[in-house]
Amino acid sequence: MKLNKLFFTLFVAAMLVLAACGGDNGDDAESGVNEDGEVEQISVFQSKVEISEPLEELAEMYEEETGIEVDVWGTTGDDYLSQLQVRLNSNQGPSILTVQNVQVADQLDSYLYDLSDMSLADDIAPEMGLEYEDRLVGLPYGIEGFGLVYNKDLVDPEDITDYESFVQALQDFEDEGINGLTLSQEAYFLIGHISNYPFSLQDDYMGFIDQLNDGEVAMSETEEFQEFGQFMEAIREHTVNPLDVNYDRQVGDFVNGETAMIHQGNWVVSMLNDYDLDFEVGLMPFPLDGNDRQIVGVGGNWGVNGNKDQAEIDAAIDFLEWLHNSDVGQEYMVDEFNHVPGFTHIDADGLDPLAQEVLDASNSGDTIPWAHNYYPADIVPNDLAPATEEFFLDDSMSGEEFIERLDEVWEGATR
Amino acid sequence: MSKHRNKLWYLLFVLPLFIIFATVVLIPFFIGIFYSFFEWDGFSANPMVYVGLDNYIELIDDGRFVNSAWLTLEFTILSLVLVNVLGLGFALLVTSAFKSANFARTMFFMPNLIGGLILGYIWQFIFSDGFRIIGDLTGNEEVFRNWLTDRDLAMYALVIVFSWQMAGYMMIIYIAGIQSIPGEVMEAAEIDGANYWQRLKNIVMPLLMPALTISLFLTLSFSFKIYDVNLSLTAGGPANSTELLAMHIYNEIFGYNNYGYGQAKAIIFFIVIAAITLVQVYMTKKREVEM
Repeated sequence: MKLNKLFFTLFVAAMLVLAACGGDNGDDAESGVNEDGEVEQISVFQSKVEISEPLEELAEMYEEETGIEVDVWGTTGDDYLSQLQVRLNSNQGPSILTVQNVQVADQLDSYLYDLSDMSLADDIAPEMGLEYEDRLVGLPYGIEGFGLVYNKDLVDPEDITDYESFVQALQDFEDEGINGLTLSQEAYFLIGHISNYPFSLQDDYMGFIDQLNDGEVAMSETEEFQEFGQFMEAIREHTVNPLDVNYDRQVGDFVNGETAMIHQGNWVVSMLNDYDLDFEVGLMPFPLDGNDRQIVGVGGNWGVNGNKDQAEIDAAIDFLEWLHNSDVGQEYMVDEFNHVPGFTHIDADGLDPLAQEVLDASNSGDTIPWAHNYYPADIVPNDLAPATEEFFLDDSMSGEEFIERLDEVWEGATR
Repeated sequence: MSKHRNKLWYLLFVLPLFIIFATVVLIPFFIGIFYSFFEWDGFSANPMVYVGLDNYIELIDDGRFVNSAWLTLEFTILSLVLVNVLGLGFALLVTSAFKSANFARTMFFMPNLIGGLILGYIWQFIFSDGFRIIGDLTGNEEVFRNWLTDRDLAMYALVIVFSWQMAGYMMIIYIAGIQSIPGEVMEAAEIDGANYWQRLKNIVMPLLMPALTISLFLTLSFSFKIYDVNLSLTAGGPANSTELLAMHIYNEIFGYNNYGYGQAKAIIFFIVIAAITLVQVYMTKKREVEM
């Protein structure tokens, strides 16, 4: 009998422990709001590796100033959305999240808080706020541009203005034993960014993508894409295989002078700053179809998670305002994040040369837009990158066949 | 009274484990079956649409799924053979009385202690940069080039890394089997004039069948479900030529956000693995002999 009692006590104890482990499933398990309704902690989950360190420093300053702890979570970028999804589904979502583009806003629609009433909303540079169904759901990280990042000692942008001069330049470099242009193996650096040009040069790229999704037009029957295929063929013929090159090596070889141009954006500066460059760098437009306009857009947007307590939402908005309005926030944004501010009230003095070129282009208004923000969600890593790998592995595949292959996978992705 | 008490003791020990097993395996499994009848993008705030068996019907025509299934089968067969041949070979080697047998045993087992992800990254360096350097130095660029950018070689690279990792583990199981063979049987055979090969074929192999059953089962299920090495070594590339099923299902769910459809694939995947491994266990069990 005695044993039985002992057993019973043990059993109850075991059950209690187990129950306690599983009992944390309230609606806001990870809420930073204490019992008095005061906010003690907010969290930021963002996708840019380059800015995570300075952002953490800012978070510490903010905590000293206001007493509110800001938790910064980072990730390496490619899997941001799936990680966000896991956190949101387990009620451990961040208070401030990153919304890459309008396609992602569509998926996250039920979480995104309308920011139209923020005082900051009026300061956003024209066309740079992320709007979804008439609501302002994202504040721009910053304006970014990409294109041919070149070594000013080796390349004169005047020499590369169209297809013929582009191929000629690659050939000349090949003869000198220098790599003319390098892409790298990561999905966006391999095809994601460079595939923008034929879309962006359309009169109405959104309309074109809509028609493409519905199967009403084909890339292979559009002139800009046909030429783009030829460009890609020239890159394959005259330069190293991008599948052998990762981002680090791409930038490393550029710094060493072994590569004359890389297809990258102004964000590459934070990596170039790690080295002592003995030459100047510049950013020039990709000369598809004689294009001479820079391509600029917004790489990511700050959004606020509307599924939190109102107090936490307000705290998140306060933090975003502080980030953009305080002196130290503005200073960090320009000097540490190397962002070209997407706001009219932030002075952008002392930008690095690449960012300066982006800003000048953006101010002049003579730019072409980022089309990949309007691509079907995740089509770049899922479909376009594998097709491009095929192209770079198989020398017998012509540029024309490559574009036809892109048509095929695009259709597969939008079935 | 005592019977009653025994039952309670039994419950006490089994229940905690059962609860853990249920929360991390059984319940998610049934929830998974439930999800597979819906069209859903995986965000809990977005609507789930009931579509019945549509997800299952759709995947019959899914070329990428079928292709991925064949790749998985190819990978499994290749690694099944390689892992077990190597494992058995190592086991025979280290149980024969040679000087540094203990040291060799440790070395063969060592790779298994390294996690699959890290292992994949180490070998990624060997197959890409390492091989390129060897190729440059020896001039043998036909063999020593970047294996991970070749559609066929990338699969072999995956098999090699997986075998390198698993062979040591299987070796341990085979050693246990070999050591349980009574010495007098071997001695008697030796006195009767059986040579090494005859002893191996007529005594060791039949008595090793239980170990073989376990080893084949483990290699089969491990290699079917492989994800970590796959992710870190090739990430499914180049051009999806090494996208094995586990990775394909992950990509369907998190890459394309087809939660329900991906779940349907996972259920089919489960049924296939269960069927194949059960058949294998049944077949090899039949060949086991009792002393």
